Amino acid sequence: MNKESSSKGLLCNVRRYWPLYLMSIPGIVFFVIFKFIPMGGTVIAFQEYSVFKGILQSQWVGFKNFEILFRSSDFYRIFTNTLILGFLKITIMFAVPIILALLLNEIRRAMLKKTIQTALYIPHFLSWVIIAGITFEIFSLSGIYNTIRDWFGLQPVLLMQQESSFRWIYVFTGIWRDAGWGTIVYLAAISSIDAQIYEAAVIDGASRLKQMVYITFPLLLPTILVLFLLEVGNFMELGFDHVYTLLTPMTYSVGDIIDTYVYRTGIQEARYSFATAVGLFQAVIGFILVMIFNKLSNKVSGEGLW
Amino acid sequence: MVSLSFGEKVMHTIIIIFLIIVGAIAVAPLISVIAVSFSSRLPVELNEVTLWPKGFTLDSWNYILSRSDLWRSFAVTVCATLTGTALSLLITALTAYPLTKPEFKIRSILMVAIVITMVFKAPLIPYFLTVKAVGLYNNPLVLFVPHILTAFNLIIMRTFFLQFPVELEEAAVVEGAGYFRRLFSLVLPLSKAVLATLGLFYGVTIWNQFQHPLLFVTDPDWFPLQLKIRQYITSDNELPIVGSIAELNYNSRTLRSVTIAFSIIPIIMVYPYLQKYFVKGALLGSVKG
Repeated sequence: MNKESSSKGLLCNVRRYWPLYLMSIPGIVFFVIFKFIPMGGTVIAFQEYSVFKGILQSQWVGFKNFEILFRSSDFYRIFTNTLILGFLKITIMFAVPIILALLLNEIRRAMLKKTIQTALYIPHFLSWVIIAGITFEIFSLSGIYNTIRDWFGLQPVLLMQQESSFRWIYVFTGIWRDAGWGTIVYLAAISSIDAQIYEAAVIDGASRLKQMVYITFPLLLPTILVLFLLEVGNFMELGFDHVYTLLTPMTYSVGDIIDTYVYRTGIQEARYSFATAVGLFQAVIGFILVMIFNKLSNKVSGEGLW
Repeated sequence: MVSLSFGEKVMHTIIIIFLIIVGAIAVAPLISVIAVSFSSRLPVELNEVTLWPKGFTLDSWNYILSRSDLWRSFAVTVCATLTGTALSLLITALTAYPLTKPEFKIRSILMVAIVITMVFKAPLIPYFLTVKAVGLYNNPLVLFVPHILTAFNLIIMRTFFLQFPVELEEAAVVEGAGYFRRLFSLVLPLSKAVLATLGLFYGVTIWNQFQHPLLFVTDPDWFPLQLKIRQYITSDNELPIVGSIAELNYNSRTLRSVTIAFSIIPIIMVYPYLQKYFVKGALLGSVKG
């Protein structure tokens, strides 16, 4: 089929089914403006972009912005911080919902189970501003944490301003807000396990603990694996809101990640090209991780993004 | 049910107690903040308030609730959430529906384009400059327009539409109903479950968003609630304590607690009624995992 007839075919198609095209216009416009134009705008990473000159007039500088990035002392810090928080996210923060789901599954009293689930789900619907606000209250000088220390005769400490505690606070607030919510998928997977398997195990004399270890957990493994790979694909997405709302200038050395660094250099200092280069670097690593995830996911479960 | 051995009963009890403690820890900070917000200054300064108000007073609440800027932010957030949710559902449905029709010729190109947006994410700065260039900087529309469509929700809605049998629309076609009529009077009324779930997720996103307003709204008149709260709790100057401290029944800590409680209480109140939709939504998302 040559090009002319195919474009003619499209024109006919549009004329005949115009309502379908009309319907999709807002969505297409949305994706073009908010997704594709910014993607194209990424070229300013290779420019000395100036708002007044625009993309067409700005000077091209090749990889200069990347050189500045890789040579700067900031780079080592933000990259390590991103990797460490990402690692904590895919290990500890990933494991907690699985353990919680296995334990919740042991509760047979429906009312009690539901009440505990509700309590665990609620924090998920609070914004990070609120979660961070409460966390700062808890660890303030007159907060509950220092009150308890006081009962044991310990000196008050300001954990939120301490470098050594920032990462743990990131982990715990993450667990507090999202671990309960994360159990939903696992609980659904557990409830779809064939009851006959348990019945057979009981006849063979398997205890509840053994059922958990030898039946529930192994049958949950495919779900765990898929979600784990998904998390690996999202490795670089640590949550701007989460980190930014917990960060204080005293904790930059351990808590400043690529996202917050891009915000500071790009938005606050208006170094557009440089911050775009930083963002592009992150996007490339993120993309590689997604590709790896997709390949592995296709191999493991036969299902990937595409 | 087979009776449990003694050891298993002990295990079972330990698990239950452990989970009750975990559940209590999850909500205790919220209750504590609410308790402080209703307490008098003195017990709060002496660290006597834990989970129940001491020296019950509404003074801190009166102070905060008399702030017109807070109410303005609240109104901005409510309007953005309602408008944004309605608009999101409309646009998502309008975009998803043609994607289920084989006769829609650009369907596969669009699907590829949508998946591309999920894989390649533009860096923040070009996104910021684009949104600014289309005139959304310091424009209240920025609170919901950038959220009205996500590739993920679009795919979920499309998948939902695809579950309907083709015969469903055939009768309507015979009667001469066009695509718009079929979508609005046939398909959407049967899609209430997915609309409720996606609507709640869009709504929560807009209500809780922080990064977008932080980037695009610098005019305090258009601060949504989250920015306003952030401003209150991070800067003492925002909540000046007027008058002699000794006479007042509140301090900066009770005021911060009121600010936080102000935004928690509505969520805690509506949450139990909506939980079942949320849970459904969490599973919808995981199907495509």
